[in-house]
Amino acid sequence: MLPLSIKDDEYKPAKFNLFVKLSGWFRSILADKTSRNLFFFLCLNLSFAFVELMYGIWSNSLGLISDSFHMFFDCTALLAGLAASVISRWRSNDSFSYGYVRAEVLAGFVNGLFLIFTAFFIFSEGVERALEPPDVHHERLLPVSIAGLLVNLVGIFVFQHGGHGHSHDGEGHGHSHSLFNGSVGHGHSHGGHGHSHESKHGHDHGHDHGHSHGGHGHLHDEPHCHDDHSHTPGKGSSKQILQGVFLHIVADTLGSVGVIISAILMQKYDLMIADPICSMLIALLIGVSVVPLLRESIGILMQRTPPSLDHALPECYQRVQQLQGVYNLQEPHFWTLCTDVYIGTLKLLVAPDADSRWILSQTHNIFTQVGVRQLYVQVDVAAM
Amino acid sequence: MACAPNRVRLLCMLSLTFGFFIVEVVVSRITSSLAMLSDSFHMLSDVIALVVALVAVRFAEQTQSTNKNTFGWIRAEVIGALVNAVFLTALCFTIILEAIERFTEPHEIEQPDVVIGVGAAGLLVNLLGLCLFHGHAGGGGHGHSHGGHGHSHGGHKKHKNGKVRRSETLEDSRSTGEETNNLVGNHNNSPNGVNPDRRRAGKSEMCHSDNLDLQINGSAPYEEFENGHDSASQLNMRGVFLHVLGDALGSVIVVINAIIFLFVWKPCKPGTVCENPCVGQHCAAHLFNVSSASNNGTNVAGPCWVLYLDPTLCIIMVCILLYTTYPLLKESALILLQTVPKQIDIHKLNSRLRDLEGVLAVHELHIWQLAGSRIIATAHIKCHDPTSYMDVAKRIKDFFHDEGIHATTIQPEFVTMNSESRASLCELSCRTQCAPKLCCGAADTVKPPDGALEPKKPCESRTPTVPSASATSLEIISESVEDTSRPESIVIITREVESSL
Repeated sequence: MLPLSIKDDEYKPAKFNLFVKLSGWFRSILADKTSRNLFFFLCLNLSFAFVELMYGIWSNSLGLISDSFHMFFDCTALLAGLAASVISRWRSNDSFSYGYVRAEVLAGFVNGLFLIFTAFFIFSEGVERALEPPDVHHERLLPVSIAGLLVNLVGIFVFQHGGHGHSHDGEGHGHSHSLFNGSVGHGHSHGGHGHSHESKHGHDHGHDHGHSHGGHGHLHDEPHCHDDHSHTPGKGSSKQILQGVFLHIVADTLGSVGVIISAILMQKYDLMIADPICSMLIALLIGVSVVPLLRESIGILMQRTPPSLDHALPECYQRVQQLQGVYNLQEPHFWTLCTDVYIGTLKLLVAPDADSRWILSQTHNIFTQVGVRQLYVQVDVAAM
Repeated sequence: MACAPNRVRLLCMLSLTFGFFIVEVVVSRITSSLAMLSDSFHMLSDVIALVVALVAVRFAEQTQSTNKNTFGWIRAEVIGALVNAVFLTALCFTIILEAIERFTEPHEIEQPDVVIGVGAAGLLVNLLGLCLFHGHAGGGGHGHSHGGHGHSHGGHKKHKNGKVRRSETLEDSRSTGEETNNLVGNHNNSPNGVNPDRRRAGKSEMCHSDNLDLQINGSAPYEEFENGHDSASQLNMRGVFLHVLGDALGSVIVVINAIIFLFVWKPCKPGTVCENPCVGQHCAAHLFNVSSASNNGTNVAGPCWVLYLDPTLCIIMVCILLYTTYPLLKESALILLQTVPKQIDIHKLNSRLRDLEGVLAVHELHIWQLAGSRIIATAHIKCHDPTSYMDVAKRIKDFFHDEGIHATTIQPEFVTMNSESRASLCELSCRTQCAPKLCCGAADTVKPPDGALEPKKPCESRTPTVPSASATSLEIISESVEDTSRPESIVIITREVESSL
């Protein structure tokens, strides 16, 4: 029997994959609020960097050129965050059985590392300039750093707004109360991200992470609730990315403020030493404030027990051991896959006449209550 | 070299490099050469890389599980490798920036002979480091594995030499020993409490009992542990090696540049009237100036291309570095992203697992690499009933052991009714509300390979399960209520409630 119609589409060659992929990525970026913000801010930063570069080439100021390169370097942090937010939404496949969700933790970690490197670099430049003060042209410096400050203020506003929105939704209080309690105090400076450039070396990039974003800092007093019912998918998972990006922006902002302050000091009081000291201080501040992000990311990457479950787990173990027929609970491993997703495995030693099914469902029940949704319970029957 | 542990090497190199850094700083102050100072900061970054690697090795020695880190600290090496790779990449970017700066504003080198001297000394230090680490990063792992200390070593001897590897294999062997014990019915296993501390080093009596088990179970799989730990530390050492390589290349460039500068460049002697056409002007204008200057007879500073040699060489070096760093970056990032190790084909594994006798279905199979070749697998296995389960469990464990995966957790699920259509459904699947939390998509292996799913199958769908599907699974559980004791019905109901929290 002949087919009634023939669809030619199946036989056409596949379209050029790259374009399809790119448009797919675009749609994916624009779909989620976080990545949308990241994308627009990245565009803003890139355009500002280009403008600075053009202006620097046109006016032949090396400081401006090198500073624009530094802005490009900053854009890589934003790009990493954006890439992570897109990647973490990809589906799982044969190689990535858990999907790509860990990308956000990795992105936060890499951003933190870049920031530490930048802090180190600024510090070294500060030392160099302290030992051999170059002549500083401030006339061109001030307007550009103020412009940079404005750009970064925009960024702070955008991401802080999104961040608070997250936190009040109840997201993010699952873990790391303990980690962040102590670290919020560092320099809540939302000044501006500026770039100071001298004629020679040119980059005084301040990055300050005073404000720990993602809602951690604000949730000191909230109760320890583990079940986030108002949790919307996707928001929690971008917390790490946002935190890294936000810290980057705040660091830049503080750099601007530092530049402006040192410029004022130098113009008014002719304190040439102010500039290197400012940059060294800024570098220290950056380094110190990036520590919480690093600690959290390292904890997750090291498969550490989720900090928010630290108190709840021993209780759960006890409850499981009190189940009828359970002799023993062995080898518990609980770890964080990404924000708010916990995975656990454990082994139960049970009596030969115990009801495995009941024990299994009870155990799942117990751990679901504390928020571990993916649990693998191995039941080993003791031979008597 | 094969026996020298990583720590000693790292400490050696660290002290050398730090000493050299101090020397460079002093020399730069004496000669007031800014280039030397910036080079010394490059050395400092090298020191930092070594410190990072050292810290990682230090941490990774504690492979026993602790209260907070139930897997031990062995992943520290992978993280150390990633940190070093990222650091190198950032350093490369900085070098590119400086090179571009140099292109626009070329600098002369002051006192090239001092630069040659210091550069050569730095090169020596780096070559020494390369020798130290190359042997390890390349083939040192094999040197470690056949020393026979993979298997059947006695108690936990605190040898500084092999401590790193021995504690690692001991921990692995203990875990496998227990697993084997559990499989064969626990006759010689004393019930261990929920005591994460029991894995702490120093419990030699447990070591002995495990060693007996080791010998019973044969030693073939344990070679992989040796390689496993070594390949984890290999990653770390590779990071250090690349860093030292970068520094060595930098020193080579400095020396070459200084030598060429010394012999080719004709500097402007102080006191004579001299034009330096290269500094502060674009190169195009320089040609006219040279010709006019030579016509006038005034001295002109030497050929300009010499000044551009330095940034060019730098860029070449950056390319080389990036090319060699990228595999390390990718590998450590993939491990941290919980990928399935590349030597394992999860699809084939899944189908072979399903072919095992007694296995009805496999859900939520996850295989990931902790570090090196320590691979961990978890799965839900559906089988007929609890009585046949222990045999099935043994077969499954053997199957995984054959694949090289020694740390597995298999959750059994029992079919409660005989209809085969329900065989593939997950008994203990999460309800609708936690589907967003599952986040990994609950990638079940029963799904078709390209990932397209119908939302009807509850265990296999990534999207939140359709209420009808969850109702079906609820049916299964509630039907099983009549077979089991009364508390289960309450359990089901309460579980539904809690899941909606």
